Amino acid sequence: MDMLAYDFMQRAFLAGIIIAILASISGTFIVLKRYSLISETLAHSALVGVAVGLVAGYNPLWIAVIVSVLSAWLIEYLRTSFSLYSDAVLAILLSGSLAIAVIIVSIGGAFNNSLFSYLFGSILSVSYEDVIVISIFGSICLAILLAFSKEFYFIAYDEEVAQTSGVRVKLLNFLLVSVVAVIIALSIRVVGSLLIGALMVIPTVAALQYKQGFMKTILISLVFAILSVVAGITLSFYFSLPSGATIVISVLMIFIVSLVINRR
Amino acid sequence: MNLKLPIFDVNNLNFSVGNQNILTDISFKIFHAEYIAIIGPNGGGKTTLIRILLGLDKPSSGEVKIFGKKIRNFRDWYKIGYVPQRATLVDANFPATVEDVVKMGRTSQRGLFTKESSEDRALVIDAMNKMDVYNLKDKMVGTLSGGQRQRVMIARALSSKPEILILDEPNTGVDMASQKRFYALLKQLNTEEKITVVFITHDIGVIADDIARLFTINEKAIICNDPKKVMSCDDMSELYGIDAHLIHNHRHEH
Repeated sequence: MDMLAYDFMQRAFLAGIIIAILASISGTFIVLKRYSLISETLAHSALVGVAVGLVAGYNPLWIAVIVSVLSAWLIEYLRTSFSLYSDAVLAILLSGSLAIAVIIVSIGGAFNNSLFSYLFGSILSVSYEDVIVISIFGSICLAILLAFSKEFYFIAYDEEVAQTSGVRVKLLNFLLVSVVAVIIALSIRVVGSLLIGALMVIPTVAALQYKQGFMKTILISLVFAILSVVAGITLSFYFSLPSGATIVISVLMIFIVSLVINRR
Repeated sequence: MNLKLPIFDVNNLNFSVGNQNILTDISFKIFHAEYIAIIGPNGGGKTTLIRILLGLDKPSSGEVKIFGKKIRNFRDWYKIGYVPQRATLVDANFPATVEDVVKMGRTSQRGLFTKESSEDRALVIDAMNKMDVYNLKDKMVGTLSGGQRQRVMIARALSSKPEILILDEPNTGVDMASQKRFYALLKQLNTEEKITVVFITHDIGVIADDIARLFTINEKAIICNDPKKVMSCDDMSELYGIDAHLIHNHRHEH
């Protein structure tokens, strides 16, 4: 394959496949918890980190990880400590983060192509350093997801019953949103912050159409996510389109096919 | 296991929301292998009491001890099997087979990364067999009938090898034939396995012969140690209008 002769494409595929694995597994838990929108909110929070990074001249990925995790903690704190509706908390932080990000880039004069690539993803933008950061943080996230998968599954099924049977629900909810925050921040290079939510949510929703048990649903979601990322990056290469958009279009196609063939 | 130690020891429990008292001055003990029904009007505090016993809500004052330990120091939650009221109202799309759900009962006793041990496996199969759902193990929970789901939820609670089962109106959404079979199963768990059973119900007429003690909760608690006499229990009738209440519920629900 010609495209793999380019170093940047090798990096994009490697980073993209790691992101696909992480996004689909963590996405399964947040979709089942009816918490899909958190991915959108955290992606916008990550943009604040990107804005700071671009203006201050640091690698935006690092700062995006930090801001996104802090935002996840703030969401969980607001959700559990005040009587606020979860979806309202997500909506407030989503717009609030975007407003802050826009102000920072406007003041710093960083409104340019570089920001565009963080919004919609770019296969050209993945550096060696990014691949290393994505691999290291990605491995830690994957280890946490696998270690606590049965707990996360139980909590998604019934939070109160999980708590009464001795599962440390509050702590694990914090852990899950933290892992999701890191994964989202890692994804913005390849998928872009406006589109990563789709890669977290749609593979799982497509997999749910096949009405299988837990393990099979996660595996189907994983395969769908990897297929979409590979197809999306390939389309991005041949048609010079933002990779986030082509990845999301690929996963949407898979979703539509899954809906149609499983229609009752 | 100390059989004389009460499983629950509740003293002067109060629970209020704002100025409204939900539970007032409740005290009781629940011992090993008891079979207890809790009745009372809707909004009388039955579910709140159970939630406090399970550590889901904190009492405003008073003390709850579980197996002799203060509730905040209690860690062995797997000893308590809980089946909530909405248990049978499973989301039809949730990706869970019967076996997936029953396995959840083992979650808090399994370590990180560990594969299911042979003991876990045996307990899950045993729980499914006891509740007669083993033949359904690969079916999606969302496709089962109300009665089948109910047995799956109890199998999930049983797989943690509990010493007590707490069920909140377990018959919501279950037909009459399944209800009778269900009570027979509960009684069997109580007599053969010596599992303490506590459940909230409105169907007191169906099971009055079986239960050992009856708690009536309507902000306060009346403990009746001879449920066969429940209809003639003077103080209960006077304080809570229990006769009228039971008739009221039956008219509404059947």
